[in-house]
Amino acid sequence: MEELLKVENLEKHYQGARVPGTKKEVTALRGVSFSICARSTLALVGESGSGKSTLALCIACLERPTSGSIIFRGEEIAARPEEEQRGVRPKIQLVFQDPARSLNPRFSALEIVTEPLLVQGRSNKREREDKARALLAQVGIPQQKALHKADEFSGGQRQRLAIARALALEPKLLILDEALSALDCSVQAQISNLLLELQSLLGLTYLFITHDLAMAGHLADEIAVMEQGKIVELGPVEKVLRSPEQKVTQRLIMATPRLTDAADGLVVA
Amino acid sequence: MIQRRGLKRWLLALAALHGVVACAGFLAPYDPAEQDRERPYLPPMKIHLVDRKGVHHLRPFFYAVRLRDGSFDQFEESTGQPLPLQFFMTGARYRLLGLVPTRLHLFGAPTSRIHLLGSDAYGRDQLSRILYGGQISLLAGLLGAGLTLFLGVLVGATAGYYGGWRDGLFMRLAELFAALPWLYLLFALRAFLPLAVSPVRAFFLIILVIGAVGWARPARLVRGVVLSARERDFVRAARGFGATDGYLLRRHILPETSSVILTQAAILVPQFVLAEMTLSFLGLGVPEPVPTWGNLLASLQQYSVLLSYWWMYVPALAIVPFFLGYLGLASTLHQDAGIGKIERTSSWNSW
Amino acid sequence: MRYLLHRLTQAVFLLIGASLLTFLFSTLAPGNYFDEMRLNPQISPETVTALRAQYQLDRPLPVRYARWVRSLLRGEMGFSFSYNTPVAPLLWVRARNTLLLTVFATLFAWALALPLGIWSATTLGRAPDRALSWATAALLVIPDLVLALGLLILAVRSGWFPTGGMASVGFENFSRFQQFRDVASHMELPVIALVLSALPILVRHVRAAVAEVLEAPFLRTAASHGIRRSRLLYRYALRAAANPLISLFGFSVGALLSGSLLVEVVMSWPGLGPLLLEAILARDLYVVIGGVLFSTMFLVLGNFLADLLVYWADPRIRTRTAAQ
Repeated sequence: MEELLKVENLEKHYQGARVPGTKKEVTALRGVSFSICARSTLALVGESGSGKSTLALCIACLERPTSGSIIFRGEEIAARPEEEQRGVRPKIQLVFQDPARSLNPRFSALEIVTEPLLVQGRSNKREREDKARALLAQVGIPQQKALHKADEFSGGQRQRLAIARALALEPKLLILDEALSALDCSVQAQISNLLLELQSLLGLTYLFITHDLAMAGHLADEIAVMEQGKIVELGPVEKVLRSPEQKVTQRLIMATPRLTDAADGLVVA
Repeated sequence: MIQRRGLKRWLLALAALHGVVACAGFLAPYDPAEQDRERPYLPPMKIHLVDRKGVHHLRPFFYAVRLRDGSFDQFEESTGQPLPLQFFMTGARYRLLGLVPTRLHLFGAPTSRIHLLGSDAYGRDQLSRILYGGQISLLAGLLGAGLTLFLGVLVGATAGYYGGWRDGLFMRLAELFAALPWLYLLFALRAFLPLAVSPVRAFFLIILVIGAVGWARPARLVRGVVLSARERDFVRAARGFGATDGYLLRRHILPETSSVILTQAAILVPQFVLAEMTLSFLGLGVPEPVPTWGNLLASLQQYSVLLSYWWMYVPALAIVPFFLGYLGLASTLHQDAGIGKIERTSSWNSW
Repeated sequence: MRYLLHRLTQAVFLLIGASLLTFLFSTLAPGNYFDEMRLNPQISPETVTALRAQYQLDRPLPVRYARWVRSLLRGEMGFSFSYNTPVAPLLWVRARNTLLLTVFATLFAWALALPLGIWSATTLGRAPDRALSWATAALLVIPDLVLALGLLILAVRSGWFPTGGMASVGFENFSRFQQFRDVASHMELPVIALVLSALPILVRHVRAAVAEVLEAPFLRTAASHGIRRSRLLYRYALRAAANPLISLFGFSVGALLSGSLLVEVVMSWPGLGPLLLEAILARDLYVVIGGVLFSTMFLVLGNFLADLLVYWADPRIRTRTAAQ
């Protein structure tokens, strides 16, 4: 299968100024390498502070890696200057964890979804609105609510809005940074089904960052486990979850609460 | 949002006060420059409804004023005919709200001059001068506040958004300006600008001076808001679809500063009106013959005036309702922003 | 120690910045003292030029600034054209008078604000607090110019206070004690004006700081240990509230200095205020710069004093810097 994204030896150091009280450097990523095939889903799991979010930001070109390369559709994008990156940005979109913070509460649903089109200078107002309304329908937001302000929606609906916004520029790669973690369980199920639908409908590739292994197992084809800025285990999801090699993976699996035995066959010995 | 009602009340009150001053031409019986040198320093005249014989009059009236026996500068009510007030009479020419030329005044007296708040050394009606003076003083305060806020937003947004050396430079400057006693700064700046200028130029000069001195505090507040807004996820998201700095500032970041700016405006306007008053009172502001609340008080620097002509103090009181209105507005806005939780009852007394 | 040094350098930078700023402002002057002189037909243009050269006003700005700084370090602050004397001694006399006023006003204001604010905070929401809130609101709404003038008129018409100046006629003949009393009585009115203008803000801030501390969990724990309320208040609560209050103290010095300028002019108290005003009207360049600098100096000193107090009162600062 075609490789959509390839990350090689990515490193990211932060100067001490980011960490209050110390002058030390903080290393968020140490030599991370992996690749994702088109139309598949890679789940990235790990505990807090393992570097998952930093990786997401780097791939989305919101942070610059200190060294290493990010190859998207055969082209290196990490080292490019900002203006050139702007061309690539539409193809890689990010959905954040907390929709209460990632959506401007003063904006209406329509404004939120048309914003990427507006910013990229695409088409005219009427076309943008039509496209936005189509997206809203696709993610399941009723049309009457299109002009409501973002803070009038529930958590699940807001995340749908965030997804609709992310889809506006027709991306190839969608990075979901703990996108389901802030939602209620039942809502999580709805949204994850929506994501699966959209993936087959639009041919999307997902990088799904989570600390919830059950969700990872449900959604992903491959899984990568991160610890302290490195990928310590990488492989097809069933293999990793059935026979984890690394201690940290085992710990994560053991820590996952389960109400019933895995309906989808994820039993760990 | 519970504060909305309180907010409306203060805004209404302020609008009414400003409205009164805006209609100075209509409400004032005389042109502020009209002199009556024969009879300077007339005390405020009383309006009566019942005359000396106990007769009720339909129209309010007053008595003409004459010199007291044996005195050459003390006046008292004469025992002559009651002189009725006339309402909606024609008087001096003026432009209503600066636009419509008319001669209609709310009230006046056809035969003798009526001075509800007394007159000054040149016999000019104090009430008229206070009303007209308010226009200048308030305008100076509003424009000065506008200038300061504009500068403050410019500096604060630049420092907060771009950071780096810009932030360092501007914040050092702001510290300097904020640390110096502002009245001294004001004076120092005013000191070196031309002193003897026409009233119009003086007016704009003062606005410039006042506006240039007070930018530090709003700048720091705006910078704080911009700094935190810059890190918000929705700003990052917008950057993620390639938004330019200008777009981010315009659509996402600056709207977050609106509450800070409004609160600052409510605090700064009265301060700046006061600044104009202080400068004009001391002779550094708008000069004669244009009336401002400040230079109307200048005569109080003479001992004789302090002693004998107490009504010359009244222009000072004119600003008090405005102070009340603006401070009330500011405190309501402040509470709206979530500060002021002390007002809830404390538990200290339950121990 | 490091903290104090840091504060000291900040203070010095502030002074340098203030002097630069005032010098910069002076470049705005399209005319100066000598232009006015030139208009006087009795003085020949050559005299004017000679005088200008003597005072070095024809040199470019950086040179003038450098010379001024150099003379400043020697203790001289330039020359006053209108008084025809060096600026520094002129300023010192006036500064002493201003300090007298400001120091007493600060002391009285705080002596009133602390108990009133604490009382307000301990009776939060009840009658005394509400009455005080109304009173402070009423005072706040009256700007200092209005207050000062109002007090002046009251004094003049009632004759309760001496008005104008610092000393009565025949001061030289008074005994030490009488002189002391005379100055004190002349100080009454301006001090009252200053205190009344500063009081509402101080009371409100004290109230806020103390009220916030009274809500703190640590105080509740102490109360549950059975400690008496008055002890709780004075030994625990006030200490915790000390920090913001001391910074407020530093701020109040600056505010009172600013306020004193106006009050001195209105009440004819011979301090820096009236001198500054005269100098501005007479375009006496070096007196203006010197006056602004002097007041800045007092302000900076006041703040530095506050920093010293904070350092002494708050052990966290000493340990924090030691750990770094």
